[in-house]
Amino acid sequence: MPSSLIAEGVSLSIRSRWLLREVSFSVEPGEVIALVGPNGAGKSTMLRALAGDLTLTNGRVVLDGRNIDQYPPRDLALKRAVLPQQTVLQFAFSVREVVEMGRGPRHIIDNDGVVDASLRRTDSYDIADRIYPSLSGGEQARVTLSRVLAQQTPILLLDEPTASLDLHHQQMVMEVARELAMAGASVVVILHDLNLAATYADRIGIMREGRLVTIGTPWETCTEALLTEVFECEIAVAQHPIRDCPLVIPMAKSADIRMDVERIAGAAGRNGAR
Amino acid sequence: MGGTATVVPRIPGAVLLPLLALLLIGATLAGIGIGAVRIAPEQTVAILLDHLGIKIDVAYTQQQDAIVWAIRFPRVILAILVGSALGVSGAVLQGMFRNPLADPGLIGVSSGAALGAVGSVALGFSFLGVATLPAFAFVGGVITSITVYLIARHDGRTEIVTLILTGIALNTVSGALTGLLTYVASDQQLRQVVFWSLGSLGTATWTTVGGAAPFIILGLLLIPRWGGSLNLFVLGEREARHLGVNTERVRIELIVVTALMTGAAVAVAGVVGFVGLIVPHLIRLIAGPNHRVLLPACALGGASLVLLADLAARTIASPAELPLGVITALLGGPFLIVLMLKTRQAQGGWA
Amino acid sequence: MFRRSLQFAIVALAALLILGSPLSAIALQDGAATPAPAPQLPATVTDVKGNEITVTDVSRIVPLSGDVAEIIYDLGLAANVVGVDVSAVYPEGQWDGLPTIGFERQLSAEGILSLNPTVVIGKEQAGPITVLDQIREAGVPVVIVQEPQTIEAPTLKIAAVAAALGVPAAGEELVVKARASIDAAIARAATSTSKPTVMFLYVRGGGTQLIGGKGSVADAMIEAAGGVDAGSAAGIAYFMPVTAEAIVAAQPEVIMLPKSGVDSIGGMDAVMEIPGVAETPAAANNQILVFDDLLLLGMTPRTGEFLQELVTLLHPELPAFEATPAT
Repeated sequence: MPSSLIAEGVSLSIRSRWLLREVSFSVEPGEVIALVGPNGAGKSTMLRALAGDLTLTNGRVVLDGRNIDQYPPRDLALKRAVLPQQTVLQFAFSVREVVEMGRGPRHIIDNDGVVDASLRRTDSYDIADRIYPSLSGGEQARVTLSRVLAQQTPILLLDEPTASLDLHHQQMVMEVARELAMAGASVVVILHDLNLAATYADRIGIMREGRLVTIGTPWETCTEALLTEVFECEIAVAQHPIRDCPLVIPMAKSADIRMDVERIAGAAGRNGAR
Repeated sequence: MGGTATVVPRIPGAVLLPLLALLLIGATLAGIGIGAVRIAPEQTVAILLDHLGIKIDVAYTQQQDAIVWAIRFPRVILAILVGSALGVSGAVLQGMFRNPLADPGLIGVSSGAALGAVGSVALGFSFLGVATLPAFAFVGGVITSITVYLIARHDGRTEIVTLILTGIALNTVSGALTGLLTYVASDQQLRQVVFWSLGSLGTATWTTVGGAAPFIILGLLLIPRWGGSLNLFVLGEREARHLGVNTERVRIELIVVTALMTGAAVAVAGVVGFVGLIVPHLIRLIAGPNHRVLLPACALGGASLVLLADLAARTIASPAELPLGVITALLGGPFLIVLMLKTRQAQGGWA
Repeated sequence: MFRRSLQFAIVALAALLILGSPLSAIALQDGAATPAPAPQLPATVTDVKGNEITVTDVSRIVPLSGDVAEIIYDLGLAANVVGVDVSAVYPEGQWDGLPTIGFERQLSAEGILSLNPTVVIGKEQAGPITVLDQIREAGVPVVIVQEPQTIEAPTLKIAAVAAALGVPAAGEELVVKARASIDAAIARAATSTSKPTVMFLYVRGGGTQLIGGKGSVADAMIEAAGGVDAGSAAGIAYFMPVTAEAIVAAQPEVIMLPKSGVDSIGGMDAVMEIPGVAETPAAANNQILVFDDLLLLGMTPRTGEFLQELVTLLHPELPAFEATPAT
């Protein structure tokens, strides 16, 4: 059962510092939205607002037609799952037990089947009997994703799920996000890697200093001018050699910027983009 | 990180709990049957049965009857109540604070109880007779814990770190007030309290048992329903909430129940340290951190530990008695160190 | 005829043996200062709470504190004692080998019962109270005697203990002796013109440092010995923690401490470290006196004797005291 999640003029200020300013967008079923932006842009804060964790200064978040702060925790847990940036466990729970915790709000029904499937989906089935605190950062990240998958919610909010993962597993996570979306879920992912966003997201939201600068398809949002301004570094955008999406290329600061740009532009021109 | 990264072989709850129950039964029989006065087993059985209305053909004296029924039996029951209360409370607080070193003292129960006890003695209250000191200790412990919680609450939320810091602050204040009252009280009055604060089950009577039992039994019956929630608490405050746990409500419920149980235990037995710290550690090592198993196991394990420690306390230096708190500390200190070193080696993190 | 004489001789011998054995048993009892009296039992006494207690058998006595043990020894019943607490130190060596029941205030019901006592006797401080109740419930009479914090205490205690153990006559004797020696000491002190200020300090390892004042046993002893209790004069009631100002302001000429306390803090050196002590006249004139606990504070039959010693120490100008020959 798909769910709709809408942010309306979401604003948050703490001690007269604005962390979010008038952010409005909707998260539709069946789509993956990537939230990108420089550090401190408010991406994580926005995700928390979408999760219903925050008491907003202005604006509201509407989940299935109701203000999200009216939902008791248990009901919320049936509708949305949140993947945190990191989960540190002080106790020696096994991987399987951690994933089982994702069943919290649903308990008993066919736990094992769901847990196994979730483990396999993130390549974690083989480490199911290992102790979570003894895993590497990447393994822990994948297990936490399994836990979120096991919660089986129509809305998933993922906070930098690819941060500690190798290339293979980064792709794997984004594939999972796409599959979920295709099955009708709504997925919001915070990413640092613009190319992952451009490749896998249906829409990209660029945030800066608490505002949503723009939201739209990868082609609409990933323009050189905008990216360079928002990220405060030289960025070139080209046509992805294989997919129909932009290829974002951050430029190293070298003496001869103009020369590099010409070379890229030349190559882009050769591949017939723009 | 590193070391043997597989799950250390665990004893499943279905095996551990019956084993612990058997251990408790054994310890109980030992506690009732063994003591400074030698009483033959058949006589002990005869005395117990007689009080239940069944007469068997074994002779015993009035003194033996008094010893078994009025002295040992209530003492054993009290040991079970105190041990299970402390064991379970330790597990609950360690799960709630996500810290394997937490114990009920963190939220001020022990220091509050001590303040209540010293207060009642220093101010010369005795309107409840012998029950005055325990009553004041109980109220002191509960009030302090609730105060810690209320102070740490802000905007309808209590952050764990704030809770811990407030606990520390209130422990310090309690300690200071206790110190002040100690200065004001006479030396004679004080010696009463010093011995109480070393921990002892020597004042166990059916009345004391009756006073403490309702709070402890109620707590023991209620606590298991939070087993699943405590597991989720371990993931973190936010994550637990995301998974549907009403963290605020669960937290205050747990603090209240723990405060009542521990307050009652400390009120009648004084400050018995280490039980709330060691028992959960041991159980986690054997059976893993799943609270659904951990909580009942800690109740059974704590009861056995206190029973056996008390048995040692009243037989080792017979006819004198060692304070219970001293025995648990002597057991607990080195044990904890060994446990810590082994755990750090064997697993990636804390058990 | 011969056979009849033999029978008579045998019967007489047997009778002598039978009759003689209790006497020989008594003669073999060691440590009795006086020949053991035969207790008149049952003895009924009213204890400090107003309850009537009947003691029917004093063959196995457990005294709950050292002063009570000492009194029992002086009453000639030491052989009947089956267990003592840690403060029973007089007479020296008398109680060695007996099981110890621990501290007066932290007793164990079953522990005491394991000694199979026929009567348990102690002061008001003994406890915990529930333990004493449990012992009573087991059928053993527990007699609690009063101990007022005055110089009357030794005689009152002796009388109460003697009554409970069924030896009022021996008790009376002891009371008269004790009363006489105490009165003599007080009288002798009265002949002195000096009234030195004396301060009593109670110390215990672990930070306990208290000044004794009005209403404490030490106060009673000091007053009886013709001194001025500095603590009482400074307005201190019972015991209060020391402050350097209090000690220096009091300017005591003599300071008294209990020996076990001094030992527990590390001896005389540690005493001099107590704030304010070093600045007192007592320190300057080497008048810091340490006494055996039981002797100083126990309010025992020896109190009169000790008082004389104290009088001599406090009033060195008096002629030397000649102790009356021991009985």
